[in-house]
Amino acid sequence: MLTADEFYLIAHNDSRGKAKLHPSATNIGLAAGLLGELVIFGQVTITAGNVVVVDRRPPADALAHTVLDQLIGEPQHQAVRTWLSFLGQSAVTSVAERLARAGVLRRHEGRRLLRTSVSYVPIDLNAVAWPATRLRALLDRPEPPNVPDALLFGLVAATGLTREVLWSAGTRAHHRLSVLIPALPPPLKELVAHTEAAVGAAVLRGMP
Amino acid sequence: MSRRVTTERPSNVTDALARGRLGVPAVIFFVMSAAAPLTVVAGVVTTGYAITGVTGLPLAFLVVGAVLALFSVGYVAMARRVENAGAFYAYVTRGLGRPAGISTAWMAMMAYNALQVGLYGAIGAAATPVLDRLFGVTPAWWLVALVAWALVAVLGLLRVDVNGMVLAVLLIAEIVVILVFDLGQLSHPAGGSVSFTALVPDSLLVPGAGALLVIAATGFVGFESAVVFSEESKDPKRTVPMATYLSVAIIAGIYALSSWAMTVATGPDQVAEQAGEQSIDLIFNLAGAHFGDSAVAIGQALFMTSVLAAMISFHNTTARYIFALGRERVLPAAFGRTSPRTGSPRVASLAQSTLGLLVILLYAANGWDPVLQLFYYSGTGGGFGVLVLIAITSVAVIAYFARTRAEESLWRRLIAPGLAAVALIIIIILAVDNFAILLGVAPNSPLRWAIPAAYPVVALVGLHWALVLRGRRPDAYARIGLGAESAALMDVPPPGPGSEPVPAGRR
Repeated sequence: MLTADEFYLIAHNDSRGKAKLHPSATNIGLAAGLLGELVIFGQVTITAGNVVVVDRRPPADALAHTVLDQLIGEPQHQAVRTWLSFLGQSAVTSVAERLARAGVLRRHEGRRLLRTSVSYVPIDLNAVAWPATRLRALLDRPEPPNVPDALLFGLVAATGLTREVLWSAGTRAHHRLSVLIPALPPPLKELVAHTEAAVGAAVLRGMP
Repeated sequence: MSRRVTTERPSNVTDALARGRLGVPAVIFFVMSAAAPLTVVAGVVTTGYAITGVTGLPLAFLVVGAVLALFSVGYVAMARRVENAGAFYAYVTRGLGRPAGISTAWMAMMAYNALQVGLYGAIGAAATPVLDRLFGVTPAWWLVALVAWALVAVLGLLRVDVNGMVLAVLLIAEIVVILVFDLGQLSHPAGGSVSFTALVPDSLLVPGAGALLVIAATGFVGFESAVVFSEESKDPKRTVPMATYLSVAIIAGIYALSSWAMTVATGPDQVAEQAGEQSIDLIFNLAGAHFGDSAVAIGQALFMTSVLAAMISFHNTTARYIFALGRERVLPAAFGRTSPRTGSPRVASLAQSTLGLLVILLYAANGWDPVLQLFYYSGTGGGFGVLVLIAITSVAVIAYFARTRAEESLWRRLIAPGLAAVALIIIIILAVDNFAILLGVAPNSPLRWAIPAAYPVVALVGLHWALVLRGRRPDAYARIGLGAESAALMDVPPPGPGSEPVPAGRR
């Protein structure tokens, strides 16, 4: 499962698919997940606060393909923070759609007060709870997690979900997490740092 | 699948991010709702007249408004270049260095906490008439304060920032009520003729002028927050400066008019005495005489909501200040933690609420007067602190532009902030000299020195803390002033050979 998908499930880890994380942090975290996927695919890199495309060949995943097209199409915008805001506006829907295509979520149209509201509900409760469970278990293993998992840890910490994910974990797990993020490859470390800064800035602005 | 990428087409990113950007009116509404006009007119102005016995308050509002407008010139120019633009200490850090920045942060925390906690003293007086009308009960002030405290604490944690539309409606209603009351007062002058005594310069050139200037400055607190929206405004170069200047002008106009109208209705020589007898009720009693009881009921209800809105707003401002300091690890990192579900700065909010609870209990247990000794002392003490913060910031603005040689006109980078700094320092000297008059205590009362001296003491503690950080935690020291943005600095590798980022993954 790709980074943004797992982040989506962690942020919505609830039997009704209801959000566990407030909207602005969810948007920023998912946007960071989408950018992180492209970094992991080796198609973009992040340096000095900018997103730089290094490989224009289309990636296999359709959503990653769309995001890469947007990055290529607007070279005048490079700042990570700009892309986190922009991708964040549509990330919840686009990632949920991708999870629906993968058969993890089901699109549900509800009517409330004359308005049609679209929500995405889990098909298998165990499947949607799995990423958080998996992350918890990873911290108990002796070998270090791979790069995508380390990025996911980084995004969980940057959006303030650490305690939700590690609720039952001991101090050793928390300590391992604290050394994991500084050891990320530089572009991903920078991505996580900008994610944390963007989430903090949203809190400081106060207005939703 | 064919793709065509042309650079000429309009940018999706620019368009999407431009949607929902704030214009001048939206920013003004935000700023003004924190300023809570009816709280100031009904609460601060009447108590100020009663305690100081000086009639120059209308002029003091105009003088402070002019000085703050001057200060804003350099302030908004620097705001565009500063991370964490909502906090004075960010400017001081960039202009005068990190130790001065931490000192300012400490003073700011004290001043904003004092302003917020002081409002718990006013809510009892504000809510009692309303509760009496509705239910025929007159509970003790501290009972009302505790209910309000619980409301603020819960809303702070849930991050239910009161809906912008509700705030806007309340704000407009407050301003309408104030203006109608003013008209009533001006059309029923004491002695049959409108007196301009309170508006002539002589009324301010008396002992006690410093006290009035502090009271006036307290009314403006909140004007500094427009800069928070630099990034969300339609045109950062125009929206934020315009909103700041207009807010200062509107606040100065309304308060000067209202405080003058009050002297006209009572007679300039009578205003202190009547305010002393009737306290917060003065403005409503005057309105009752002119418009009858239903106008009074509306005014009292709005006064209560105004105090509540101000409480919530100051609680959130203070909690965010603490959050920013926790985020940059100047305070323990726990203060920088948010509640995942609501995104509220949970620990910071709880800390502020705890302080509020302790103060309410302290005053209730000792039987101290809530309006005078909590609302007025704490409010003016906080207002004095904000004056000190603004003065230091104006010096920091000059220093920043002198050091960075950023391109700005001489007026914006030197003359306006320079004039503001001189004026603010004079105001502070006058205020310290007049502090006994401001508080209405004997000239040898220990309180008269304790409140103004608290700020330098806290500043020294802050300075010490900065030096401790420099020695023990240089990484936290390096991030001072960046607030939430400190996260972005923390992990960026130092530029130079060998740190060339490499794409991650299996390449």
